[in-house]
Amino acid sequence: MAKTYEEINEKIRSKKAVVCTAEEVVDLVRKKGVEKAAEEVDVVTTGTFGAMCSSGAFLNFGHSTPPIRMTNILLNGVQAYGGLAAVDTYIGATQMTEDSEKGYGGAHVIEDLIAGKDIHLRATGPGTDCYVRKEIDTYVSLDDLNEAYLYNPRNSYQNYGVATNTSDKALYTYMGKLLPKMKNASYSSAGQLSPLLNDPHCDVIGIGTRIFLGGGEGYVSWQGTQFKTDVEEVGGVPVAGARTLAVIGDMKQMDPYYVRGLDIHGYGISLALGIGVPLPILDEGVMARAAVSDEDLFAEMLDYSLPSGRVPMARYSYAQLRSGKIEYQGKTIRTSSMSSYAGAKKVAQELKDRIERGEFLLNAPSLMLPKAGSVKPLKVREARRCAER
Amino acid sequence: MRRKVRVDFDELNVGESVAYILATEFGLKPNIVKAQVNDDSSGLMIFIVDGEEELLDKAMGRLKSMGFEVRDLEKHITRDKARCWSCGACVSICPSKSFTYDPETWEVHLDIDTCIACGSCVTSCSVKALKLNI
Repeated sequence: MAKTYEEINEKIRSKKAVVCTAEEVVDLVRKKGVEKAAEEVDVVTTGTFGAMCSSGAFLNFGHSTPPIRMTNILLNGVQAYGGLAAVDTYIGATQMTEDSEKGYGGAHVIEDLIAGKDIHLRATGPGTDCYVRKEIDTYVSLDDLNEAYLYNPRNSYQNYGVATNTSDKALYTYMGKLLPKMKNASYSSAGQLSPLLNDPHCDVIGIGTRIFLGGGEGYVSWQGTQFKTDVEEVGGVPVAGARTLAVIGDMKQMDPYYVRGLDIHGYGISLALGIGVPLPILDEGVMARAAVSDEDLFAEMLDYSLPSGRVPMARYSYAQLRSGKIEYQGKTIRTSSMSSYAGAKKVAQELKDRIERGEFLLNAPSLMLPKAGSVKPLKVREARRCAER
Repeated sequence: MRRKVRVDFDELNVGESVAYILATEFGLKPNIVKAQVNDDSSGLMIFIVDGEEELLDKAMGRLKSMGFEVRDLEKHITRDKARCWSCGACVSICPSKSFTYDPETWEVHLDIDTCIACGSCVTSCSVKALKLNI
């Protein structure tokens, strides 16, 4: 029995929609079967809450009197992009502060803005006939800005490798501290709750899908960077990093609980972000894919002591990874996560609550994401001469 | 009972064997979890000591009389629960397995009783929620 977006939205509006989190449907489908579950359930909510480095925000400050064309912009000492129109900027999450206050960066500016704090804005410009001011030093908060929206080129990775370290010294990586001699391993995906693991070929997630982004409403705006589909699958789900999402959302709706600046020791700054995607249960296929559990989802372990060319060492299910220990060649390795499963659960639950209350309607994609994609490496090479082009 | 203590010393008593005194004179079971000697001969040790309360008190008095500075560690590790986002980067690196995931909520819990105050978790925390106070 197929459903349409309009039928589901009508149920949401009349507060009659049946909504389950991607965790809850695992048991439901085991008990009742896919067919029955697809009939009963209208929406499955997913969630993830992890470090998403490829994130940032577009901001518009408004014009001062006299006006300035800002070309060199600092927000709490963090460089923001000065190559847009006069008072537009983009602040990247991983940009680090230039002054002595370490452990602070673009992600923290974004968190502080969302928390309603004052941000120290310092900017200089060339001074032109139309923008005579050459410098400005003031404070702005989120309310003062005309527009402030996250635009994140790559979020919500579909699966991710498990990091370990075979070397003799500890490594400080974006996957956390990796103890020497494989004493621990760090994984990152929310597994059975992760948006793109519950819709592995993006049959329902597409451009225009309305999502939970950092506590507010956002949208899938494009395929994420490094979007790839040519990845080995088990049970129809990639076992390594594959698809990604570019997302957009109004910061004025967001909650600092779900948007946090991270200072990852030895690596740098990143942004922890909560993202939830509602999956419309249009048919049994969508239901079956959304019912995937941690036992059925796998990730590959990689040796982060190798600078490149990391060959998968072993494959583990998320159920094994979440048990706290895995075995490798007779050795026990302790495991923990770099993303918050507690946070992912909160995101999926909060999205479920909003849909049940009739506050969050589904938006059908206006365009589907690419069905194929691969990632090219960067070659270090000489410039080609014109004739060879 | 179990007590965690920080013992500070200087050039006058750097040569004494504190663990030997605790074990032989008081029958206590000391475990040195941290020891550090500075360039000026001062330094500190952190002990986890098991034994009867009365003997523990006496032993600490004896160390004080020898010129050691002795302090009980109670809240030697603190966590800002509002900052903690329960990622778990601290879980698999903790030598005493003091951090665990709640099997229901998956929030990260800290058992201060088993913590040996090594400080490994402090740098692993991406939101600076953990502080070592020794």
